[in-house]
Amino acid sequence: MGFPPVSHLVLATGCSLVLIGFYGMLTHRNILRIIIGFSLIDTGIHMILVATGYITGGTAPIIDEALSLDAAATRSVDPIPSALVVTAIVIGLSVTAIMLAYAIRLYETKQTLSLDAFTESKW
Amino acid sequence: MVASLLHPLTIFILGLGGGFVLPLVYRLGKTWLKATFFLALSGMALVSALGLVRLLLGGDAIDILTAGSLPPVSISLRFGLWEGFFTASVNCVALLGALRLWPRLSGRYAAMLLYLIFVMGINGMVMTRDLFNLFVFLEIVSIGTYGLLSLEETPAALAAAFKYIMATVLASTFFLLATGLLYYATGTLNIDGLLAQREAIGGPIGAMALLLLLGALLVELKPFPANGWGLDVYETATDGVAALVSVGVSAGVFFALFKLEPLFAGQRNLIAWSCGLTFVAANLIGLRQRLVQRLLGYSSIGQMALMVLALVLLRRQEADGVESGGADVAFALVIGGLFLNHLLAKAGLFWLAGAIGAREWTSWPSLAGRPLLLLAFAILLVAIAGLPPFPGFWGKWELVNALAGSGDYGWIVLILFGSLCEAVYLFRWFGACLQAPRPAAVPAFFSGELPVLVAALLLVIAGLAAAGLAGISSFWLFLPLAAGAALAVIDPILPGQVKCALMLALVLAGGLFLSQGLDGMRGLFAALLLSGGLVIASAGFYRTDARPFHHALLAVLLLALPALLRAETGLDFFVTFEIITLASYFLIARSPAAAPHLLPFLLFSLAAAFFLLTGFAAHRAASGTDALTALGSAGADGALTFVLLASGFLIKAGALGVHVWLPGAYAEAEDDVSALLSAVISKVPIIGLLTGAYLAIRSQNAFGLAHGMGWIGLLTVIGGAAMALREDDVKRMLAYSSMSQLGYIVIAIALMSHIGWVTALYLVANHLMVKGILFLAVAGVTLRAGSRQFADLGGLMRSMPFTFVAVLIAVIAMSGLPPLMGFGGKWLLVQGMADQEWYALAVLSLVATGLGFLYMIRLVHGLFLKPQPPNRAELSSAGSLREAPIALLLPQYALAAAILLLSFYPSLVMEPIAAAIDPAFSAGLVWRGMSLQEIYGYWNPRPLMIVIVAAVMSAIALLAMLYWFRRKDARFLRSTGGKESDALSRFFAFYEPMLGVLVRPMASRFWNNVARGVEALGCLRRVYDGDGQTYALYVLYYFLALYFLGSAIPI
Amino acid sequence: MIRRGFIILALVLFGLVFARLIGAYQEQSVLRPLAEHYVTQGPRELGAANVITGILITYRGFDTLGEVAVLFMVAAGLGLLLRRDGDGPSVSANTPLRPASELVVTGTEVLLPLIFVFGAYVIMHGHLSAGGGFQGGAIVASAVLLLLVTQPLTRLRLDLLSITESFAGVLFVCIGLLGLILAGGFLDSRFLPQGQLGAFFSAGAIPIISILLGIKVGAELSVIIDRFRR
Repeated sequence: MGFPPVSHLVLATGCSLVLIGFYGMLTHRNILRIIIGFSLIDTGIHMILVATGYITGGTAPIIDEALSLDAAATRSVDPIPSALVVTAIVIGLSVTAIMLAYAIRLYETKQTLSLDAFTESKW
Repeated sequence: MVASLLHPLTIFILGLGGGFVLPLVYRLGKTWLKATFFLALSGMALVSALGLVRLLLGGDAIDILTAGSLPPVSISLRFGLWEGFFTASVNCVALLGALRLWPRLSGRYAAMLLYLIFVMGINGMVMTRDLFNLFVFLEIVSIGTYGLLSLEETPAALAAAFKYIMATVLASTFFLLATGLLYYATGTLNIDGLLAQREAIGGPIGAMALLLLLGALLVELKPFPANGWGLDVYETATDGVAALVSVGVSAGVFFALFKLEPLFAGQRNLIAWSCGLTFVAANLIGLRQRLVQRLLGYSSIGQMALMVLALVLLRRQEADGVESGGADVAFALVIGGLFLNHLLAKAGLFWLAGAIGAREWTSWPSLAGRPLLLLAFAILLVAIAGLPPFPGFWGKWELVNALAGSGDYGWIVLILFGSLCEAVYLFRWFGACLQAPRPAAVPAFFSGELPVLVAALLLVIAGLAAAGLAGISSFWLFLPLAAGAALAVIDPILPGQVKCALMLALVLAGGLFLSQGLDGMRGLFAALLLSGGLVIASAGFYRTDARPFHHALLAVLLLALPALLRAETGLDFFVTFEIITLASYFLIARSPAAAPHLLPFLLFSLAAAFFLLTGFAAHRAASGTDALTALGSAGADGALTFVLLASGFLIKAGALGVHVWLPGAYAEAEDDVSALLSAVISKVPIIGLLTGAYLAIRSQNAFGLAHGMGWIGLLTVIGGAAMALREDDVKRMLAYSSMSQLGYIVIAIALMSHIGWVTALYLVANHLMVKGILFLAVAGVTLRAGSRQFADLGGLMRSMPFTFVAVLIAVIAMSGLPPLMGFGGKWLLVQGMADQEWYALAVLSLVATGLGFLYMIRLVHGLFLKPQPPNRAELSSAGSLREAPIALLLPQYALAAAILLLSFYPSLVMEPIAAAIDPAFSAGLVWRGMSLQEIYGYWNPRPLMIVIVAAVMSAIALLAMLYWFRRKDARFLRSTGGKESDALSRFFAFYEPMLGVLVRPMASRFWNNVARGVEALGCLRRVYDGDGQTYALYVLYYFLALYFLGSAIPI
Repeated sequence: MIRRGFIILALVLFGLVFARLIGAYQEQSVLRPLAEHYVTQGPRELGAANVITGILITYRGFDTLGEVAVLFMVAAGLGLLLRRDGDGPSVSANTPLRPASELVVTGTEVLLPLIFVFGAYVIMHGHLSAGGGFQGGAIVASAVLLLLVTQPLTRLRLDLLSITESFAGVLFVCIGLLGLILAGGFLDSRFLPQGQLGAFFSAGAIPIISILLGIKVGAELSVIIDRFRR
């Protein structure tokens, strides 16, 4: 077997991205870097989702000159994961925005972005 | 038109549309903003509540289709009974929460729209039937939470919010991944579609998707140890938002899990372990927590874990095909009851905590000036502790019954242990509030008091509704509570003595009504306890102060006695038993001196109750019915039930070893309350023991069980007497004496023979009268002499002659000297033991009688005969040392008259007793083939009497001789310092060190160590190091653990 | 160091999990029934050439409504979180700003109209080609971002934007209700004529919803970007 199918590659890339995101989120103490870690995880998950919707030899599910209505059943990729990912991207963006806003507020309270400064409540 | 407005879709239109409109309305003015916000919120509550009503009246579930297509093509939602119940409850609480949060929301349209859409999001999570749509609603709820968390701007709160975001974002990320993978594995996102093909979801990817989905939902419910982020938010967020997270977000996530649960059928054990661990760990760690909101956080986490645990255990039973009658109702009661209980009580407590404003419970102010708020506080706490009549109680009852039905006793122990810890930390908080010196600042009415009060009121209503569903025999069970409520309403306006008269009248009327138709032993007990209770309670006239809520509680307590006797099922019995416990608790709590003893009292009472709960559940599991009469016809396998029930009742009776709660509670209550508790209420466990004793008789190893119980009784007799003898405080001495006397009754019951039971009843009557007199007499002494210490008292014979005579009669009646009743009782007891050939027990109980003599002598001598201590002389010269008030003397003499009557005409009581004891039972066990009438005729007391008196006298003579020879011993003189003025005092002082060996406070030390050990387990809290990254790591490990355990153990 | 060890272990374990995922994954060769229904029946039922837009706006319109609500909440939440006491960006008060470079300013002047037009195009052709309200709205907002980068002191008409997003939201809900009244159900877009598949005026109310979405998303993202200027 030669070159692995394209969706496998996307899937593997997505998984690696998630792992890199985990690593960044767990090891960096700087809140902005943690947020970047989360963004990477998010993107990785989106890639995984898109990859699982791929159909061998499929194209975008848009009916035009390239894809006739009759050929759609056999030549288009699964539209559902793509539709889900659109929604998921918006939600991911929203969460990132909220986290960044918190980062700003946290910086204002302690003049630092290091997580070490924010461990007040415990036990 | 109206019908379509009330369609559940309106909830979303109102939530979203209202949210979108708010920024526009904001420009019109504040009034418009407020009106729109509350209109939308109450509209949502109204639509869901009316929808629920429609379904309850038999309407069909509504399927809401969108986009004009059928699922799975388009998203659909469902509004069925469960959905209606969850949305209506959450929306009502959200409306109340908005009131509470109003000072923070007011004027900020952004916060209002977040709140509105957040609430709609919870409704969406409950109603949606599409997995991805569930994700969207979860995110709506999460983002709403993140936004609302910023209402509190302290650095700690912002940091906590960030940790919360980190953890929940991880959870929702996995939710998204799981959704995508499930779609890949199944080709659908429709929940019904997924449930329909759940057997077919297989392969590594399908399994992985299910585990990740499960993990995401569980993490959102904050499992131990991956829940530090949730606790930090509970601790630091403003109380209104913390309450929303605790009850709102959790409700949405729980319902999602509830819907999807069949998908996780293979993982039920895993879920149960995780939730069981969380429930116990949260409540253990809560024991060491001082911050109120964090404490409530631990409790919240525990409650949610309990709900999930209950869910999976019940569903597992269902899957195993365990048949039990009314399983649907039981399921509804468990899930619905626990949910509603948590929802209202936890939200109410968060709001109350915020309205009062003290961060630590140790520094809570007193609510004494705000009786309504105090009442609401008590209701909320009692509800969370899972006590009747609140919904959580019915839920726990059904849950334990169901678990006993499938033999899951391990889970019962775990659940009850966790509940006990939870009750401890919650009631410790209540105790601190009662003791607090500083009055609370008056909270604002609309945003502070109202939501809490409404939550408490809703709890009461929900509890009564649940009671109906749970199948209690009849609503007369709640008559005591109703009478108490009626007296509580008029409590603030009437003077104390008027309330006392009203209470007595109410108890008399209610008691007569309740005891209608009771016959046999129950009728006898009802007559005895009710009349005794009324006589002793009438002593309350001697207090002229208002005594807030005292009379209401007294009415509950006294009326609960006939209600208990009227109980037909284990449930009836248990509910009334708990009501008695609670009423006693609050009555004792009214005395400031009792504060340190409240917690042990409640703790041991609850432990006792939990034994009973399990016992009744075991009974129902074994016999298939909850009827108490079935206890009498139980088969040979009733031993477990008996041991459980007997353990519970023995704890309540203060058996040696588990007696540590008793002296403090009995002695430190108000004086007339002590009399009532010791004389009347202490008979409640005796009733229980008699009810459950048939089990032991029928069981295979009846003899062993009964004999064991006899020994426990004997040890209690001796231990109680020894401790009484050593006690320098008169009331505590009487308390120990009660314990000792109850021991005799336990022995008598343990005889399991006709004569034994006759004796038991006889002793009950005797003890009731004697202890009533003694405690009331001491009340008079304390009132006049101002002290309860033997060292301060003496020479009262001259100033209080009537009290002296009453005490003398009581002491003679109690110590078993002829000719008064006590003698008959002792005689019968010894006879019974001889019949059973329990000679060791018989001999030892005679020795114990000797000890009893000694402390009785000390009582009479110490109060009345020995000279007055010199430091007290000014009392008599000031004229304050005079006879006790007539209100105290009258009941004493009424009781004394009863003693005399029954002593000289024993058949007056013996006859009904003999007749009362179940003839069917006695048939095989009649003593020497004679009926009791004959026994009494046959009774020739003289020889035995001589033996007893001789034995006791020689024992005392021996002690006196020993004392005589060694009294000049230098060591002894040094130890007492020669302070004791008279011979008898010196005699007691001489033997005190020896008694000291006997009564080392081993039990207290043991229980203190247990408490310390349990609390030490709270060091588990070290896992919460406050670092958001650590928490994120825990969350990831939680997923990993779930994944590897879940894929390794295909259960 | 122990902590780092635990982190590495967690990553290794997740690596195992993902490896299992990749190992078990098999590329599909045919559409599943639901997807096939969308691809073959979707364009016929809705008249939208872009199947994904059809799904987003009609079949899963409820999701989209929720998604809009999420964005709306974020804009509001940021307003709460990043409240400014005074008016206007506070940065300018203490730090003098270096003016943007010639290149950026000129580039902006040239690009800004183009980006707006492109955004509008993407929004309006969502039912025909790749794109839609969200995508176009994001493009429009990127123009606003560019504007703010070149001229940090620009004051956006926040009140106007906020009214716009609210109105767009309310209209979205109203159109959803129109679907309930005039067509098959809430958010059904088929109450306007379907038109010719592939024509500009086609696909019922989908383009209208798309435009509303575009306006709303553009306004919201602009507000969000503006909130971060402090």
